[in-house]
Formats: sequence, C-alpha cells, structure tokens
Amino acid sequence: MTGYDPCAHCEEVMQPYMDRVLTDAERAEAEAHLDECAYCRKRYRFEETLRVFVRQAVRSEPVPVDLKQKLLELRTPLE
Amino acid sequence: MSETTREPDARRLATDARDRVRFEEDALALSDQVYRVARHLVGSREEAEDLMQETYARAFRSWRSFQPGTNLRAWLLRILTNFNIDRGRRQQRSPDMQPLEEGDYFLYNKLEAATDGPTDEEHVVERLSQNDVVAALSEVPHDFRDVVVLVDIGDFTYADAAQILDIPIGTVMSRLHRGRRILKQAMAEEAVGGETS
Repeated sequence: MTGYDPCAHCEEVMQPYMDRVLTDAERAEAEAHLDECAYCRKRYRFEETLRVFVRQAVRSEPVPVDLKQKLLELRTPLE
Repeated sequence: MSETTREPDARRLATDARDRVRFEEDALALSDQVYRVARHLVGSREEAEDLMQETYARAFRSWRSFQPGTNLRAWLLRILTNFNIDRGRRQQRSPDMQPLEEGDYFLYNKLEAATDGPTDEEHVVERLSQNDVVAALSEVPHDFRDVVVLVDIGDFTYADAAQILDIPIGTVMSRLHRGRRILKQAMAEEAVGGETS
C-alpha cells in the first residue's frame, strides 16, 4: 500500500483550488473527490463561508475622518 | 524669450498640473482600500495612520513615476509596505523560526467539536466573532501576514502581491499557504481557546 489518502490530498489542494490556480487536471481531480466525499465537501463549504466571514470582519473600518482631512492637506496647492 | 516659445511651455505646465490633480484625486479615491490593508499590516490604528500619511506624501511628491494605466492601488501599497519595512516595524524576520502549523481542516474540526447541534458550515462559522478574526490576524507573523492581508483582504493577485512586496511569486504562494494556516490556528485559539477536539 502506498498510504495515499485522498482526503489528505484534498485538504492540501483546497486553498489553491479556491484560489483557482490548479491545473485543469488537478481541478477535475479535486472536484471528483468533493462530489463523492461528504467529509471534504462539508469542509470545503466551511472554507468558502470562512473566507467571506474573514473579509467582512476586517472590512468595517473606513479611513477616519481626521486622517482623510490630513491626506487632503498633503495635496500640492494649486497655483 | 519670444511669445512663440512661451506658449508651448504654458500649455505643458497646464497639462502637467491637470495630470497631477487627476493623479491626486485618483489616489485619494483609493484611500479607504489602501487604509483597510494598512490597518491590518500593522498593530495599531496610530501606526496605520502614520503609514498612510507617509505613503500619500511620498506618492504626491513622486506622482510622475507612476505609469498611467497600471495598477495605482498596487503602486500605493508598494510605497506603503516599503515604509513599513524601512521603519523597522518587523521584528520576526525568519519564517523558519515560526511554530509548526496545523492543516487546513484544523479550524473546522476544532470549531465543530465545540459546537452543539447542527454542524453545517453556517453554524460552525458562527462560533467565530469579528474580534476573533481581527485578534488572530494580528498574531500572524509579519512576513506571512503581509501576503494574507494583500491577497485575502486586499484582493490582490499572487503576481500583484509579489510585485508589491518585491518577492518571488513562489514565495507569495508558500507564505500564503502557511500564513492562512497560522491564521486559522490563531482563530481556533481565539474562539475555543484550550478546548480539545
């Protein structure tokens, strides 16, 4: 036995798969595994949800008003 | 100087001024996006604000070196990350010294074990709070955090991140891989602490 574990392999390629940087063959292999494996499919859906969650969690803070004013003041004065 | 030579000069100056104003307006329009990245590259709001002012001051002075038609947001962030490095805000320089991180499924497994009731992805992710994410991100070592912030928060491609940080694309990929795992490990710690799975 080679000890090949398809779920461990799927875990390895999950992030590159989500980043869309796998080759067509690698992508097809990952999708075939996700189709048949509920364990990995559940974790894949979690990873997708997590990415959105992380993005939203850190996106709430706009440039503070006083900083925006300071940046405006850095502009070259019009002659 | 005759009238005929002065007129093209005046026209050139007017064009120059117009291009500069346009550049400054374009750069300022991106300030929320640049700040969002800056805010998570450094530890505090004060540091992020200092970096933003240094970056915009430099950008407005050096606006002629920006090539119109290329990615202005990436150009601004390259200035910002250079300032961040120059100002010695990085203490952790060696990626090899970082602790070993868990696999990609670690966070899900940890949260699932701590979740009562349904364990679909929506319920499991609800174990995390916004503060867990922000706190966990601040714990990721700088070299890894820079890449995670640029790609996962700034929406930059691997190639853009490589250009901004002036590192090879392969280094972006390996740091992103490890950085995301370190982030998940830190989120698990924040969310469920020492509970075992």
